[in-house]
Amino acid sequence: MNQWIKLSFRNIIKNKRRSFVTLMAIAMGFTAINLFSGYTHSTYEGMRASAIRGSGIGHLTIYKKGWNKFGKSDPDKYMIDKKEINKIIKIIEENDSVILATPRLDISGIVSNGRNSTIFMAQGVIPADDKTILGTFFDFQPVTGKTLNTKKEYGVQMATDLAQYLQLKPEDDAVVMAATLDGQLNALDIQISGVYDTGLDAINDKFMKVPFRFAQSLYDSEKADRIVVLLDNWKNTSIVQHQIMKQLKDAGIKCEIKTWEELSAFYSNVKNMFDRVFLFIFSIVLDIVIMSTVNTMGMSVIERTREIGTLRALGIKKRGINMLFAIEGAMIGFIGSVVGVAFHMMIWFIIFIASPTYTPPGSSSPVPLQVDFLPGTIFFMLMCMIFLALIAAILPARRAANQNVVDALGHV
Amino acid sequence: MNLIEMKNIIKDYYLGETIVQALRGIDLKIEKEEFTAIWGPSGSGKTTLLNLIGTIDEPSSGDLYFNGDKINNITDNNKSEFRNNEIGFIFQTFNLIPVLSALENVMLPLQIMGVSASKAKKEAFMRLSDVELEQYVNSRPDKMSGGQRQRVAIARALITNPSIVLADEPTANLDSKTSNSIIEIMKKINKKDKTTFIFSTHDQRLLDQMDRLIQLEDGRITE
Ligand SMILES: Nc1ncnc2c1ncn2[C@@H]1O[C@H](COP(=O)(O)OP(=O)(O)O)[C@@H](O)[C@H]1O
Ligand SMILES: [Mg+2]
Repeated sequence: MNQWIKLSFRNIIKNKRRSFVTLMAIAMGFTAINLFSGYTHSTYEGMRASAIRGSGIGHLTIYKKGWNKFGKSDPDKYMIDKKEINKIIKIIEENDSVILATPRLDISGIVSNGRNSTIFMAQGVIPADDKTILGTFFDFQPVTGKTLNTKKEYGVQMATDLAQYLQLKPEDDAVVMAATLDGQLNALDIQISGVYDTGLDAINDKFMKVPFRFAQSLYDSEKADRIVVLLDNWKNTSIVQHQIMKQLKDAGIKCEIKTWEELSAFYSNVKNMFDRVFLFIFSIVLDIVIMSTVNTMGMSVIERTREIGTLRALGIKKRGINMLFAIEGAMIGFIGSVVGVAFHMMIWFIIFIASPTYTPPGSSSPVPLQVDFLPGTIFFMLMCMIFLALIAAILPARRAANQNVVDALGHV
Repeated sequence: MNLIEMKNIIKDYYLGETIVQALRGIDLKIEKEEFTAIWGPSGSGKTTLLNLIGTIDEPSSGDLYFNGDKINNITDNNKSEFRNNEIGFIFQTFNLIPVLSALENVMLPLQIMGVSASKAKKEAFMRLSDVELEQYVNSRPDKMSGGQRQRVAIARALITNPSIVLADEPTANLDSKTSNSIIEIMKKINKKDKTTFIFSTHDQRLLDQMDRLIQLEDGRITE
C-alpha cells in the first residue's frame, strides 16, 4: 500500500504547475463552501434568537382553537379566559424543557399626544416574563429611560420612530384609544417609560410594549389572546410541542400550538433563500472540483499510458490501475482540502479580528458579520472533497486500465 | 514437458480495410533453461511472438501452453497473476517508472505480488548487486545511462524468480560494448539460476552467445 501512495504522491508533485492549479481550485472551493456555511450558520442562529427572543414570540405559542381563523371577527370568543390561563400555564410548566409560560394580549388602536395621533400596535406582556424571554437581547435593545415594570401599570415602552413622530420622550404623557371587546370606545392615559429600537424598520413607527394588565384594561377584559412558551433549547421545539398538545388535549383544553418557525415567516424565507444560495455555490464548486480533477487526471493518465502498460505487463490487474489513480485523486482531494482548511482558518481569523459590520435588509441597525467555525462541517467537506476527487480520477483511469497492454506499451 | 508450447498460432492485425498477417501459423516448443534468440528482420513478427508468450496480447487463433496448461483463454486477472509470477519482461525502451528510484522500480513486481516492503527491498538490493548497480539504488532512471537502465530492467525482470524472461531487442538502444555486457549478465543468470530466456534481436553479433536460434521471416519460422 505504502508503495502505491508514494507512487501517487510523486506523480502529483512531478507535475507541479498542473497539480498546483487543481489543488488551488479544490482549496478555494473548499474555503468558499466552509466560509459560507459558517456565515449562514451564524446568521440562522442570530435570526432564530432574534425571532424567539428579540421579537418575543418564544418557542411555542398557544392559541385557543380557531383564533387564527376567526379571532379577528370575534376576539372575545376565541380568547383564553383567566381560569384557562392558569390551568394551561400550570400544565405546561410541568414540562422539564419549559422555562416559562406567559400570557400575552396584543392590542392596537390610536395613540395621541394631544395634538397629533396615529395608529399603534402593542404587545401586552408581563414585564418580568418579557425580560426573561429577551434574555441577552435585553442588551441589544437599549432603552432610553426605564423599561416596563409592574409598579407603574400605565408606563409603556415606545418604539423610536413613533416616539419621534409624536415628539414624546420618557416621562411624557399621552393617551391611547381602542375599542373594548364589547365594542365600546375606551381611552386610557399612558406615560412613556422608555423609548427603544425594536430592530425592525417596518414596525419602529408604530410599536409599543405595554404591561399585560394595561392591555387588558384597555380592552376591558380578563383574557389573553395567546400564551407564549420559552424552552431551554430550540432543538426541543417540536418534541415539546407534541407533548404539550397531548397534555392539553387530555385536560380537555382545545387549542392550537404554533412554533417559532411557523410564526417567523422572515426566518423561513431567509433560510430558504440561503439554503438555495448554498446549493448553488455547492454545485458550482462541485463542478469545478470534478472538472479540474478529471482534466488533471485525464492528462496524467494519457501521459502515463506507457507506464500503465508497463505496470500491467508486470502483473498489476485492471482494478489495481484503478486503485492507483483513485489514490492519486483522493490525495489531490485531501491535499487541496488541507490547503483549504488553512485558507479558511486564515480568513476566519481575519474576519474574527476585523469584525466588520453590515446592515441586512429589513434591519434598522448594522450587525456584525459573523462566521462560525464549524469543525463538523469542515470534516464533512474534507471527506466530500476526497470522495469527489477520487471519483473524478477513476473516470479517466478506467479507460486506461481497460485498454490493450500492447497498445499502451507502444504509446509514445 | 515443454515450458512453452505454441500450436498453430496465427495473429492478424486489422488496419482499417487491410489485414496485416503478423504471424502465419507458428508451432514452437521451448524447454526449461533454454537461452533462445528469435532472430529475423524488422517486421518479421518477433515482438508479436514475444507479446503472445507473455500474454499481453491475444492470438487470432491457435493455442498457447505453459507447463502443459492451455493459457490463451484464461481471464484477464489470471493472466495478470501469471505474468506477475512466471514472466519477466525486458523491453527495448527499458520502460522504468520515472518517479521511482532504481531500487523501487526493482521492488515493484514483488509488491504487486503483495510481498512486504522490507522483504522486497532486501531482494531488490540483491538483484541490483547481481547487475552491479549497488551504487545506483537510489538514483532515478533519468540520472542513469542506457546500459544502467537496462540492467535495472533486468533486475526487475528477475526479482520474482520467473520461469521465463522475455527480452524484446534488449540491446537495440545500446552500443555494442554495453550490449555484450548485458548479454553476458543474462547468460550468467541463466547458468546460475536456471532461468529460461527468450530474446528477440536482429543483431547478428549477439547470435554466437545463444544456445538456440529461431529464425523468423514474414511471420513464419524458417529455422
Ligand atoms: N498494433 C499493430 N497494428 C497493426 N500492425 C501491426 C501492429 N503491430 C505489429 N504490426 C505489424 O505486424 C508485423 C510484425 O510486427 P512485429 O511483431 O513488431 O515485428 P518485429 O518485432 O519483428 O519488427 C509488421 O508488419 C507490423 O507492421
Ligand atoms: Mg519488434
